[in-house]
Formats: sequence, structure tokens, C-alpha cells
Amino acid sequence: MKKLEEVLRDWEAVIGLEIHAELTTLETKMFCGCKLEFGAAPNTHTCPVCLGLPGALPVPNKAAIESIVLAGLATNCDIEKHSMFYRKNYMYPDMAKNFQTTQGPIAFCMRGHLDLEVDGAGAKERIDLGDLKPGESGAPGTTAANVTRTEDGYVAHVGITRIHMEEDAGKMVHIGGGEGRIAGATHSLVDYNRAGTPLIELVTEPDLRTPEEARLFMQKLRQIYLAIGISDCSMEEGSLRCDGNVSLRRRGSTEFGTKTELKNMNSFKNLHDGLAYEICRQAEVLEEGGIIYQETRHWDPSAKRTIVMRVKETADDYRLFPEPDLAPYDLSDEFIEGVRAKLPELPDQKAARYQRDFGLSAYDARHLVEHRATVRFFEACMDEAADDAGKLAKPVANLAINDLTALMNADASFDLEESALTPARAVQLIKLVAEDAISSKQAKEVLSAVLDEDKDPEAIVEERGMKQVSDTGAIEAVVDAVIAANPDEVARYKDGNQKLIGFFVGQCMKEMRGQGNPKLINQLLAQKLAE
Amino acid sequence: MPDIMQMGVRQIREGLAEGEFSAREVARAALDAIAERDGSVHAFLEITESQALEAADRVDAAAAQRALDELGPLAGVPVAFKDNMNQEGTHTTCSSRMLESYVSPYTATCVQRAIDAGGIPLGKLNMDEFAFGSSTETSAFGPTRNPWDLERVPGGSSGGSAAAVAAGMACVTLGSDTGGSIRQPASFCGVVGVKPTYGMVSRYGVVAFGSSLDQVGPFARSVEDAAWALQAICGHDPRDCTSQDLDIDFLSAVREGAQSIRGMRVGIVKEFLEAKGLSDEVREKIQEATGKLCDAGAEIVEVQLPHADAAISAYYVLGPCEAFSNLARFDSVRYGLADHGHKDLSGQYEASRAAGFGAEAKRRILLGSYLLSAGVYDTYYYPAQQVRTLITRDYVQAFEKCDAILAPASPRTAFKFGEISDPAQMYLSDIFTVPINIAGNGGMTVPVGLGSQTGLPVGVQIIAPQFKDANMLRVAAALEQAYGTASVAPEFAGEKAGE
Repeated sequence: MKKLEEVLRDWEAVIGLEIHAELTTLETKMFCGCKLEFGAAPNTHTCPVCLGLPGALPVPNKAAIESIVLAGLATNCDIEKHSMFYRKNYMYPDMAKNFQTTQGPIAFCMRGHLDLEVDGAGAKERIDLGDLKPGESGAPGTTAANVTRTEDGYVAHVGITRIHMEEDAGKMVHIGGGEGRIAGATHSLVDYNRAGTPLIELVTEPDLRTPEEARLFMQKLRQIYLAIGISDCSMEEGSLRCDGNVSLRRRGSTEFGTKTELKNMNSFKNLHDGLAYEICRQAEVLEEGGIIYQETRHWDPSAKRTIVMRVKETADDYRLFPEPDLAPYDLSDEFIEGVRAKLPELPDQKAARYQRDFGLSAYDARHLVEHRATVRFFEACMDEAADDAGKLAKPVANLAINDLTALMNADASFDLEESALTPARAVQLIKLVAEDAISSKQAKEVLSAVLDEDKDPEAIVEERGMKQVSDTGAIEAVVDAVIAANPDEVARYKDGNQKLIGFFVGQCMKEMRGQGNPKLINQLLAQKLAE
Repeated sequence: MPDIMQMGVRQIREGLAEGEFSAREVARAALDAIAERDGSVHAFLEITESQALEAADRVDAAAAQRALDELGPLAGVPVAFKDNMNQEGTHTTCSSRMLESYVSPYTATCVQRAIDAGGIPLGKLNMDEFAFGSSTETSAFGPTRNPWDLERVPGGSSGGSAAAVAAGMACVTLGSDTGGSIRQPASFCGVVGVKPTYGMVSRYGVVAFGSSLDQVGPFARSVEDAAWALQAICGHDPRDCTSQDLDIDFLSAVREGAQSIRGMRVGIVKEFLEAKGLSDEVREKIQEATGKLCDAGAEIVEVQLPHADAAISAYYVLGPCEAFSNLARFDSVRYGLADHGHKDLSGQYEASRAAGFGAEAKRRILLGSYLLSAGVYDTYYYPAQQVRTLITRDYVQAFEKCDAILAPASPRTAFKFGEISDPAQMYLSDIFTVPINIAGNGGMTVPVGLGSQTGLPVGVQIIAPQFKDANMLRVAAALEQAYGTASVAPEFAGEKAGE
């Protein structure tokens, strides 16, 4: 199979996402008073309503309506003042009433958008930017029409069709088959604890063109949902789920190809890799003269391929009709404005403020706001740094984006806020580097020691005798000694082998047990060897 | 001792207050009456003797404390519930094999309110399966017989509720009305039956047929008894977000109406009186009742309902669509009849539903499933909703000219078992009641004596503007003054009385 970049040279991928988020921060379910709790014993959070018992009626959870309006406002949607719930009829044991209460043609939130800043290696997946210069957008009608070039990549404007409110189904557990699968199972159990969990589904326009854009969209949406506090957005536990629709067309063509629907992309990496695989698979089929079938496919991350779940020969007929048990919703201006007043600072606004107030680069600011943990950490450090905030912002941002993000990525259970690295200690550490007390290399050692031993950076530096020597006199003595002890190397250096400077620095560092200020050592060596 | 089973709510309250008899004696009398009479009527599917006696003891304890008034409007009154109403610990079968073994784990709000108001719950009442029908013949557990003529149907779907009151086995019963299921059997059985405005009574715990059409209401032998029951069951319920918070004094309305309805404008609809299929004896009764209302001081005005003829068509689109969806939950997975041992899920679904549902239920499910399907929806469901808007507007406009409308309740008196076998013909039984469910207004049936041809009870329907249900109770009370209060059907009135 060809590589993605090769495929994308000949084919344009058209991607749309359907993203479900459970409103996990609410107290109760969508249409009844049952508690929302992940991981409780099966069927302990149920009642006649969410079990679909005969005679039970739904009563909407007002807080859920507020959450979806908040989501709509945060994603630039129009809020529809008049909308209704509908019944989507289909039979499955995890759906107790055998219809899902959802919304019809008009959802609470319609016609929104998000702008994605794509940078780094991911930006290279997009090959249709041509000669666009920073600040320039693709011409209307071209494939790059929704794109604006930036210094380090581009911004893609992605449309959101709608966000609607619905309820989640229960969970099926199949017994007797392999790995809980339905194939070969002797019987199935249903847990209705999740049934009736408030769910919002966001549907994008087919505006995404690369797996990286899809990944970034999901990431940005997650940041927004976390910022407005409507969901814990756990892709692993399924409170944030994403399905992708993808089709290919020849570069230059304007007609859509047949799409497949991709499921089980329960991490950002899986979303990217699943789409990338599917794009390559479709290209191979098409290039061999085959046909793409409209089907639902399952991404298998261990096998690194997508497999067919079911073929959709005809469109499903869900017999949608207005839910007669729920009156149409009329949202007042007061309600909408009340929700708007509750909007917190969103990630984009935060990033802009960091650039403005702390002089961070766009890149640093953007990546800093990717995680709530790094945001909180950065802000706490800036408070701690007080008058030095401006000076320390850049190194604190680096610490957060590089070292701390790496720690979080390496170990999902790493909780920055619970860790031994308090903002006060972080500021102390950064100051030690800024004041040349320790080298940035030493800083890494101190950082892991802080985390392991739960001590202040200064104490660790003290204990380990790590304090960097920046005393010119002391360094000069060592430099002189090293030059005197290595006459051959000095001669070769003077003959033009400038690379040997590294050797001399190493010797000096060895002599000073790694505590010499490398900048000073370099400076003095260059000066003395030139004599 | 007088026959308790012929007494109304006020007499029972007074008897209890004065210590003439105890609530336990009332309960015993009712249970004896059921034991004696229900063998021929078959109104009851389940008798809840222990709940009845417990409730009676609570009433007696309150009477001993001289706290009867605090107990509520139905203190010591024998009541019974249509079998689509959940009552914890009882079977709630909807007269269907599908739910034959289903025991309710919770109680419907209307049932709870009747019990909280001091009612003595006697049991659960027969109905057409899932309320699909107008004769109680579609019950999976055998039909109920009309106490006025055991060869005839009691009407439906709340046939058991109407017959229990007519045969003197309960003082007040609750039924539900989706297209006439309270008003038509009340007419057939010669009792009062009230379908309040949609939203007056909570639907929570009442197994849904057509969610936008269903409404719970009482049967009784007098307008006043119906008012006591409404006093108990009406009002907002946080578990039903379509229920309304209104404070209506039904008893005052009845008192006022019995005195005078001077100044009230009562509307007459020409289209109804000229309707094909309306029997002469019912037409005569409407004309007679019009005269009596005029005598009582009402001003009679003619009103138009231009879209009345489209109501049945719209109803048989909207009703089955909602029923299809509401009945989807009966899938054999969590409760109800289950036919196991199939290779796959759809096999179990199909076998269980084939065995569990009767012919009429299947007909409506299939109809609803078809009407909602892609491509068909726009041809039927959507226009039906538009018709609904037009009919609703008709009533709003008509009520600009009058305070209540007088109309037939049913085109004819009770028919014989098996007499109507064509479903479409059966659907026309509801021609005068269905439009009121479509519009959401309140409507009630009041007995106006016996038909000149069949000698069977005839009821007339009084329709009120939305949430002005007090209007129809006033007019009903005036008619009752003119015709006399309904009594227990003759065959059951003489027995036990005065023994």
C-alpha cells in the first residue's frame, strides 16, 4: 500500500466527523433523576424512565440544555430558539424504549465553525497550499479555499453543521464468546446505568482534508469542552467518541466519492492513524479499478487496519417523528444571554492573551493551551513569579510544553497538580537556570529529582553539590590546566580542526564534575586557544 | 342499612362521618358486589382485596380521629383502575398476552392520587388490548359485558371502567381516552365519563397509546362524583412535563350548574347532527337535550367546525404512528412475554411479538410503522399534523361564540358482540369523540335517558374550551338536573338493595 503523502498527491481526501460527548459533569441523566456515575455496579442507577418501563415519561434535564447551548456558543454556532426532540425508532436491547430521544432537522446549535492552526510535520499532509504566502488564503473555488497560510503552517476554517442533544444507550456485555465479542456468545447482558446519559453530538461539514486536521479538530474540540466544563472528555472511557466519514476524489474533481464510516478511533493517535489507513486503502482499491462500498468499518489499532463491520445497502429508516411526550423548546434571549455570560475564557482567547501579556510566541501559546493541566500550571507559575513573570514566561512555557507534556504523554496516570512539582518549585528551578546557577542540562536532573524525592530544587542542588560554577577565576584555572595537559590537541586545533573545541569543553566539564558554566567555559577556551 | 353500592361520594362521606357505616364495610360491600356480579359482567381482571382493606382501615383510622376531611375527596370511596394504569404490586396487562405476567414495580400518579385521596382500590379493569378498540372485544382475556344488556358490548376501550360503575361494583373508576375511550363507553353504559383537557391529569404510569392524545379521566354515576374524582386526580405532576398547574374548583362548578346556567352559551354543530351514521334516537336525544338546556337558561348558538370530517383520517394516522413507537418497548427483553430459544435477536423479537400482540394491536403497529417510513411520512404524518392544527383552530374559533358545545358522544347505542367486524366500521364509532383528542379539549358524556328505538342508554357529549373544564361540568350538572342522576343498571340495582 502506498504511503499517505504519496496518496494525497493524487487524491483529495474528504473527511467529516461525528463527535459524541457525554455530559459527564451533570448530576443526573437526560430524562430522569438517576445519578450519572461511571463504573457503578450494573443496573444500580436505573428507574422506570431509563429502563423504558410501560407508562414512564421523560422529563428533560434543564442543566443539559444549558450545557449544549454553552457548547454551541463556544463553537460559534447559531443557537436555535425553537427546536424539538424527536424519536429515532430502532430496536436493540441496549435502547430500553426501542427509540432514542434525539433532535430533528433543527438542533439546538446550528452552523458553527472552528479554526484549526496546523503546524509542524502535520502541516505537510496538506499539499495544496502551493505558493500561498503567510496571511494569504486559497482562492475561492479551489481546494485550499478554507485555508490561510501562516509562518509555521496554516489555519483551516472547518464548518460545524450542528450540535444536537440526545440520550445514550445502555451497555451490552456478551458472555461466552471470545473477548466479550458477540460472535460465539451464548448470551448477552445489558447494563442500563449508561442508558439516558445526556449526550451531545457534533457533526462537522466535510471540510477536513487530512488525518492531521481531523486529529486537531478533535483535540481542539476536547480543549473547548474541557474549558467549558461540560464533560470529562475521556476517549478511553468513551465519554468522548468520534466516528469519521471519509471518501476520496481525484485531485481537481469536485464530485464526492463514496464514503465509508470509521469507528473505534478512541484516541487522537487512533483517529489519525485510522483515517490515514482508510485513505490509503481506498486509494489502492480505486487505483486497482475497484469500487468503494458504503460501509461501516472498524479500526483495529493492533492490526493497523480497518475491517468491515456492516454494509449499508440502503439508508437506515429510523422513522423519525416529533417526540409527543416533550413539548417543543423555546429558548428565551434571557436564557441564551445568561448562558453566554457563563462562558469562560476559551483556549484560543487564552493563547492570544498569553502572547499579549507574556510575550509568548504563537506556537508556544497554542501548545500551552492544549492541556488544562499545563494551562493551570503556567498560570500558577506566573502568579508565583509575580514581577518576574514577563522574564520567566518563556522558560516556564518551555518546561510545560516540552518536559511536562512528555511526562504526561509517557504516563497517563501522571497528575501534574498532584505531583511534587509545585508552581513555587518550578519557578525556583527556572530561576536557578536563569541565574546561571545550574545548566539547563542539570535542570532536567533536578526536575526528575524534585518529582522523585519531593524536595525543593534548591535543596537538591545543595545536596548534590550541583551548583554551577560561574566564577571566572575558577574556570580559567581549569581551562589553563586542560590546555597545558593536551598539547597535541591544541596543536591540531590551531591547525584548523575547530571541532576539537568539544573535546576541550568535555575535559573542562569532567574536571569540574559537570558543574562549570558551559557558556563561560566555551568563551574562555575559544579565547585562550586563539592566543 | 341502605345499599352502599348505589351511593355517591357525598353519601359515603356523610355515612362515614356520622358513623353510619365504616370504610371496611364499604370495602366489604364492594368486594361482595364484585364477587356476585362480575361473573356475568367481567369488568375486573384483578381484584386487590388486601389493598382495599388496608386502605379502608386507613380511612377508618382517620374517621376515628375525626380527620376525614383531611384525607381527601375520595375518602372511603370504592375505586378501580383501568388495567393500563400501573399500581405497584398489581398486574398491569393492558388486556394483552404480552403483559399477562407483568407486575408493576411502581404506581401511576393518577392511581396514587386516587389512593392518597382516600379511595379504596378494588382492582384493575378490563379494556381493549392496549386501548385499541371501541368495544372491549379485543381484550386478550375475554370481553366485558354491558350491564344494561349482557348480550351487548360496554363500549371501549375503557369498557371495564364503565361497566364496573354501571353495575354498581365501584363508585368511581378511572379510564383513559385517546379517541373516545372514556366518553363512548360511558354513553353505552349510561354513566358519566370525563375526558379532561389534555394536560389536566398526569399520564405518568399510564401505559401510553397515543402520547399526544391520551388523557386520564373518571367514570361515575353522577356529575358531582366525577367532580370529586377530578378534584383528586387533576394537577401538575413533575414526572409528566405535559401536565399543567391549574387550580379548578370542579365541585363549585357542579353546584352552580345544578342551580342555573343562565347566560351560558351552548354551541350546536350542524355538521355533527347531519353526520352520516348518526342514529335517529341519538339525534332525537340531542335535540331534546338542547331544549332542556334552553329551559335551564342557556343561550343556544350554532357554531361551525369546518374540518370536523378530516378528524378521523388524521386520528388514524397520528394514533398508530405514536402507538407503533410506544409499543416498540414490548420486545421480550426486559419484561413481558418472551419466546426464547431462537438463533438470533430478531427471531426472538418476531416470535414474542407475534405471540404477544392481538390482531388489532398488530394492525396499528404495522400501520404506524408504514406511515412513518421514509417517503410515506410526508404524505400522511405531516398532513395529519397540519389537519390537527386546523381542527384545533376550529375549536378555538367556535369557542369565541360559545362556552361549551353539545354533541353526540357516539353515533348509536351499544351494539351486540361481533356485530361490527370490519375495523374501518368500528373506527367510525369514534367519529364524535376523536376530534376532541386531536384538538386537546376537554369533553364529557352525560346520560340523557334511554333511546326511543333500542331502549338502551344514550349519552350526550359536552365539550369545553381548553382548560375550561369547569364549563362542561356546569352544563353537565344542568342536564343532570333535567334528566335525573344515573343509577345502577336495572339488572344490578335490585339485588342486595335494602337487605
